[in-house]
Parts: sequence; C-alpha cells; structure tokens
Amino acid sequence: MRPGCDRAAHYRLTESDLIRYGRQVLYGGFGEEGQKRLKCSHVVVAGLGGLGCPASIYLTCAGIGHITLVDCDYVELSNLNRQILHYEENIGMEKPASAAEKLARLNSTTRITTIFERITEENARQIIREADLVIDGMDNFGTRFILNKACVAEGIPFIHGGIYGLFGQITTILPGKTPCLACIFPEVPSHRSIFPVFGVTPALIAVLQVMEAIKLLAGFGRLLAGRMLCFNGETMDFVYHDLRRNPDCKICGRRKDEH
Amino acid sequence: MSIKVKLHPVLHKFTQGQGVIEVNGRNTGQCLREVEKMFPAVREEIRDKRGRLRSYYSVLVNSKYTYPKQLSTPVKDGDEVEIRLIAPGG
Repeated sequence: MRPGCDRAAHYRLTESDLIRYGRQVLYGGFGEEGQKRLKCSHVVVAGLGGLGCPASIYLTCAGIGHITLVDCDYVELSNLNRQILHYEENIGMEKPASAAEKLARLNSTTRITTIFERITEENARQIIREADLVIDGMDNFGTRFILNKACVAEGIPFIHGGIYGLFGQITTILPGKTPCLACIFPEVPSHRSIFPVFGVTPALIAVLQVMEAIKLLAGFGRLLAGRMLCFNGETMDFVYHDLRRNPDCKICGRRKDEH
Repeated sequence: MSIKVKLHPVLHKFTQGQGVIEVNGRNTGQCLREVEKMFPAVREEIRDKRGRLRSYYSVLVNSKYTYPKQLSTPVKDGDEVEIRLIAPGG
C-alpha cells in the first residue's frame, strides 16, 4: 500500500493531538497508529467546489498532516449554496486562498498548500506527485480524466465523486488493482456545463470520500475499490455496482502498450 | 421475453412519471428502442443527433455496466436493464 505507512514510525502524537483526536483514536482498528498515519499523509483536493469544500474541512478535522488545495476559479455568489468554505465577503477571491484561510483557523497543525492553477495534461503529474491520495472535487469529466491518467501514471489512489441534483456516485480507484475511470467510462462523459445541485448532495458524497481516505491512509476497513456506490436522494436509495477492469483500457489496460 | 427497463429519475418527466417500463427485446439496444417507441421524448434526451447514446448515460444489465457493448448486450427473460445518468458535478 502506497500511503504514508512507512513514514508513520517517524511521527509522534503530541499531547494536544491525543486530546484533539481522542474520540477517533478510540476506534478499534485505528488507534494512535492510525492517527500517526494521517498525520504523515499528504492529500491533494482537486477542486474547491461543492465536493472539495466539505472534503477539505473533514480532512483537516481528521488530522491529515498536509493538504494541497487546487482550483483555478474565483468565488462567485452562485457558489454559495454548496461551497461551504467560501463566504459572502470572499466573492471575487481565489478559491484556494479563501478555503485555506478557514482551514488554517480550524486546525493550525495541518499544513495547507494552495495552487491557483487549471489542472492540465502538462501540470497534473507535477501537482499530484508528492501526494498519498487525490480527492476528486472536479466539476467536469474532462479534468477528471486528466487526473485519473496522472494518478494511474504515478500509482496514486484517486477517490472519485460526482453529483447531479440529488444524485451522487463515488468509487475508489487504486491504480493497477481496480478499474480506473477510463475503464468505467471509456468515452469522456460530456455534459451541459450548468446543471442542478443542492448543497447537501456534494456534502454527502464528500464525507464518503473522506471516509474512504481515512480508511485507505490508516489501512483498515473495506474500501469502495472495484465498486461504484450510487446515491438517489429522491428515494434515499444507496446501490452498489461491481466494476470490472478493461484489459483494453487506454489508460490502465494490460494491452495498452500494444495499441 | 419480458425485460424491465429501469429509467434514471431525470427521465421520469418523459414517461409520465413511470420509472420502470416492461418491454420485449433480445439485447439492450432493442429494449431501449421499445421504450423510445412508447416515449419518443426519451430518445431525444438519451441520444445525440446521430442516434448514438449520449456520453453521460450508462446502460447496465442486472446492475453491471455494459461497456463497450452498451446497445448490444444480450438480455434474457427476467433481466433488468437500467439507464443511469453519470453524475458530472463537484
């Protein structure tokens, strides 16, 4: 497993850590060792919208040692029904800076790095290279596919989340072990650029993404690896779909080099 | 052969609120065409001008994704075909 387990031995929890994280350290299978693993971990949150805001709040609360926030947009009034790290006074501000300001007040022991850039084929690998995992907070599949490709190339887990209205989906991609995004959706889904969303939908999917991140980094529990969890908020149904690797996948397929 | 086609809730407005349509067909493409005959607006929504399935819909059979044979996966009596919207936002 790639995440920061090897480094955890070199980290120690302070008295303050043991108080702050005491209630989660109590959890069987996690304990102080799990907390140390979070402390030495680096998570990239790609996108600071409806998913990325709540995801970065809970990553910060949980005690992730280093979080990198990436977005290329400025805060707008129309963001405020769901992007809960941005306030009215932040309209016009760069989203990573707006988010970092609140996260620093929430947990001063978490190191926050901000990157105000569009994620592209050219810079994606550089942005994620030092991360233990990447949280998908993107609002379009084009950039998701760029991140997916970069994560596969770097062998970094990628926790995919997507929402529409009251519907959401999530899966955890472990390069080389599970299907990647291009196995699941061989054609890049191309949506209309504006679609409906209630703030509660990305909030729900984001906390599930962080739950996956905590388990993955600390090394316990069963991940949504090779499974897509789909949520229907109209009926409150959660359903799972098994996913299969595509041997001909142009990103992670075993036969891709023969193409 | 009786096949249940389950439609994503965003499509219910095109089917007078029906979420499951029972049709006959030997593969996923035939089943979808039967639904489209009954509710032509569904076709407008799920296919592009060339008649191809739009990239933001997935077709599943018994909860399994059918790529790369979304419109040609064989089905048998009692199977459930599902048209699911891929959630794009974040």
